[in-house]
Amino acid sequence: MSSHLYAYGVIEAEDLELDIEGVEGESPVQTVTFRTLSAVVTPIDDVDVERTDENTRAHDEVLREVMMEGDGRTVVPMQFGMAFKSARTLKSVMRGGRRAFRKALMDVDGKVELGVKVVGSEDGALTREDVAADISERLVAVSDQEAENDLYSERLLFNRSYLLDRDAQEAFGEAVSELEDDYPDATVQYTGPWAPYNFVDVEIEAQ
Amino acid sequence: MFLLDDILLWPITNVVDVLHSLAVQEMYDTESIQSDIKENQLLYEIGERDEAEYERERARLESELDAAERARERLSDKVVVQR
Repeated sequence: MSSHLYAYGVIEAEDLELDIEGVEGESPVQTVTFRTLSAVVTPIDDVDVERTDENTRAHDEVLREVMMEGDGRTVVPMQFGMAFKSARTLKSVMRGGRRAFRKALMDVDGKVELGVKVVGSEDGALTREDVAADISERLVAVSDQEAENDLYSERLLFNRSYLLDRDAQEAFGEAVSELEDDYPDATVQYTGPWAPYNFVDVEIEAQ
Repeated sequence: MFLLDDILLWPITNVVDVLHSLAVQEMYDTESIQSDIKENQLLYEIGERDEAEYERERARLESELDAAERARERLSDKVVVQR
């Protein structure tokens, strides 16, 4: 077995082992601990990880499982593709980034991220200007923070992420259902819970 | 002639260079292909495109992206604006 490690994110120090498959189908999911921080990892053969659909999905799913398993826990996610030659190099990165990680853990303590996209009909009856302010106002009312994402398609009228308490998801879901009722000509896509990618800002230098 | 050399020709060469690099960006606009890939994914997820259509479009866009990336790499050396 390889001693290289693929890292998903950082949690409060904990010995965790989950029997689920991660990136490149590797398991188990384990933790590498440095002082008060644990990185969530799986073994990996090659540190250059290919960005396939399966791998990016596995990255998200491991983070979601870590976030929701048991009573749930706070996760500071890493971007896709962070692989380390050994536990030692990973720990040295955790040492270097420990303040940023601690601050990020505090910022997103007990929170999850949810995504809302609104897609207009092909005839273009609704415009971004028609919907953005109203939808944003309703969703900001049931969340803590909002982040705008790329509107990569003409059809995409709205694409934002929201940070909220794990326990506040039901109220948020109800607000999304109301959107669906009030905008029958649009399609609302509601995703998550995700690890709070859009609300942490930890930069890790490549090894 | 001083005027022609320094004031007229200078801007012309620059404009040509800029036009060339704009054309390269336009022809091999990887970002816009990536947006199309994401749009295809979105329309599939909301049920507006069926799986066959989605897979066909995805394969087409991915090969387009591949070609654009290779073309950009090849051309990027030649589009250095000389001043």
